[in-house]
Amino acid sequence: MNLSFTDEQNLLRDSVSKFCGSDYDFETRMKSVNSDAGHNPDHWKLFAELGWLAIPFSEEMGGLDGGDVDLSLMFEEFGKSIVVEPYLANVVLSGGVLKRCDLENKASLVESLIAGEAQFSLANYEPKKGFNLDAVDSEISSDGIVNGHKTTVLNAPNADHFLVFGKHGSGFAFALVSKDAEGLSLTSYKTYDGFVSGDLKLENVKADAVFSKNDALEILNEAVLEGIISVSSEAIGAMEKCYKLTIEYTQQREQFGQSLSKFQALQHRMVDMFMETEFSKSFLLKVLATDDADERSKLVYGLKHQIAKAGKYVGEEAVQLHGGMGVTEEMSVGHYLKRLLVITNLFGSSDYFLSKYIDS
Amino acid sequence: MDLNFSKEDLEFRDEVREFLDNEYPKHIKEKMNNGDDLTREEIVEWHKAVAKKGWMGHSWPVEHGGTGWDATKVYIYLRELALAGCPTFVPFGLQMVAPVIWTFGSEEQKKKFLPRILNFDDWWCQGYSEPGSGSDLASLKCKAVREGDEYVLNGQKTWTTLGQHADWIFVLVRTDDSGKKQEGITFILVDMKTPGIEVKPIITLDGDHEVNEVWFDNVRVPAENVVGEEGQGWTYAKFLLFHERSSIAGAPNMRRVLNSIKARAKNIFHTDKPLSEDKSFQSKVAEFELDLDALEMTELRGLAAMREGKSPGAESSLLKIKGTELQQRLSTLAVEMAGHDAMPYGGPYGFSDVEVAATKVDQLSAPKYLNFRKVTIYGGTNEIQKNIIAKAVLGI
Repeated sequence: MNLSFTDEQNLLRDSVSKFCGSDYDFETRMKSVNSDAGHNPDHWKLFAELGWLAIPFSEEMGGLDGGDVDLSLMFEEFGKSIVVEPYLANVVLSGGVLKRCDLENKASLVESLIAGEAQFSLANYEPKKGFNLDAVDSEISSDGIVNGHKTTVLNAPNADHFLVFGKHGSGFAFALVSKDAEGLSLTSYKTYDGFVSGDLKLENVKADAVFSKNDALEILNEAVLEGIISVSSEAIGAMEKCYKLTIEYTQQREQFGQSLSKFQALQHRMVDMFMETEFSKSFLLKVLATDDADERSKLVYGLKHQIAKAGKYVGEEAVQLHGGMGVTEEMSVGHYLKRLLVITNLFGSSDYFLSKYIDS
Repeated sequence: MDLNFSKEDLEFRDEVREFLDNEYPKHIKEKMNNGDDLTREEIVEWHKAVAKKGWMGHSWPVEHGGTGWDATKVYIYLRELALAGCPTFVPFGLQMVAPVIWTFGSEEQKKKFLPRILNFDDWWCQGYSEPGSGSDLASLKCKAVREGDEYVLNGQKTWTTLGQHADWIFVLVRTDDSGKKQEGITFILVDMKTPGIEVKPIITLDGDHEVNEVWFDNVRVPAENVVGEEGQGWTYAKFLLFHERSSIAGAPNMRRVLNSIKARAKNIFHTDKPLSEDKSFQSKVAEFELDLDALEMTELRGLAAMREGKSPGAESSLLKIKGTELQQRLSTLAVEMAGHDAMPYGGPYGFSDVEVAATKVDQLSAPKYLNFRKVTIYGGTNEIQKNIIAKAVLGI
């Protein structure tokens, strides 16, 4: 048994941490959030230059051969600054599909992703269909015509290519669809955590390619599992920041002639926040250290349930202990709660994943 | 003791329903059903419709224009209004400053202010909290200095809900800082049109402008606007807080929201079966209903005591804590139910301004949840309420 990280992993964590510490204060983040792209394109370029966009891809695809542990370390650091650059949508979800798929020109697509030249969005969820990955009505015909309606397509406004998941014959497949394809209409919106997303309508859209006809559902499932590990790690980073911000605030805020942090009832609350964060970290480590694929995916469902509960709890407590200031747009703590609440329900609610855990 | 309504009660309920059918303005009803924000004019229009019927004073003594209803009637009335989705009454005049005025105010103040509050001619707001004085309200610093027949106010108040719409503000000011902090506080009524007042918006997490900072820069207020005695404001302030706390539990409104959640769950799918058939969801709804029943009965007990002439005391803290916790639980349930459909946000306060697949009510669940973080903080945080209960109710 070995629970320590490699030197490379520690270096990666340090470099992400350094970036977040020096280039990503709250005001800078809010500027990115309020811009049209919803993120800072210069940061994205920097991510590419630093090789961060290459991490989970194999060396033959031009990647760095990283795995879940590397993604997890990065996301924990991202979470501490609630980084809005579209790493999840591009590298984890779209990248997770691309690196496993049988698309002929995938090498050039991955190359453009790693270089930060092209952006991608995975389009799988549909209106009123819930969280089951196979619950789709969209159709991809044998001659590559796509019809359907997709919703909550993360990063959609920035995407050059969409990876559309749909029914194909008696099974499933992916369609590679260009943002300029005829018959494709995109409705862009911000989500309440400051990220960007969109709904896609596809009417007789000609796909650039149809791929992974035999194992599309399995590939989608793998990509989403990596997505869950990533956002869970992000949530843990956000939780850590939440209790630290709260300690800081209660130390400097004075009421009744002493700082709030002196009140025992409030100290216990902060201890609980800290403990929830630590036990979430431990559970995450268990997931990362588990090799058996079936056991691991069951644990990922458990992780998502745990994070949904703990993340929301810690975020809510942080706001509560900040008092009135906590509910204002100008304080950062509420923005952590917003992201934590999105993560709580992203890919499925805590109840949903608890039943998946029980059933698997 | 029984829970059945008498024939008279049922007739009264029908009378309320008839009033709502005929007099609840249709355009306001439509906006409320859609979750749209009301304008100041629409909120006033709703209050005026109730005032015209003579039903504004449901919690007032008859001598000041109250309806004279017993606890059951008040309960029926508020429940019918909530179930019909009516806007809640703006409480600052009606439920907060009015009891202070009729209990501690001068005859002139009663004559001048109470009829206008009852008719919603004046919109009131609250000048209590300050940036440095939240839970420790008595440490407030906003200053009033007597000069002849006037007081001159300088300082800042914060968290003033809907202050941007207000005609009048009741303010706690410090008129003496030589003694204990609870002494030397004065309760004064200020016309918002007085020169030197500036209202600055505070934007909350849901993107909404609901609360404000209110700044006073040499604001001159007639001395006759002091309520009761100079320096005794803390007594009146606490009296008002009891009234504020007992009016924010909001059980009937939660009943309506819960009904709507239960109805919608039949058509919401997280898996291949509707959410309404999901065991975890059913448990959450059932547990909520049980807690809501208990809260409602606690509210009824309080109403009954008020009708017997008892002022709501520290017990109102129970209602405040439980009511606000339940409001938050309900808003969480709505977000969870909406799933990904809670995510699209167009802001400020509301749904995406573009046509998306998610319904408005689902999109609104997130800003509602974020807005409702305030309820365990305002009116005295729930932590402070527990201190009050420990001290004043349990005697520890």
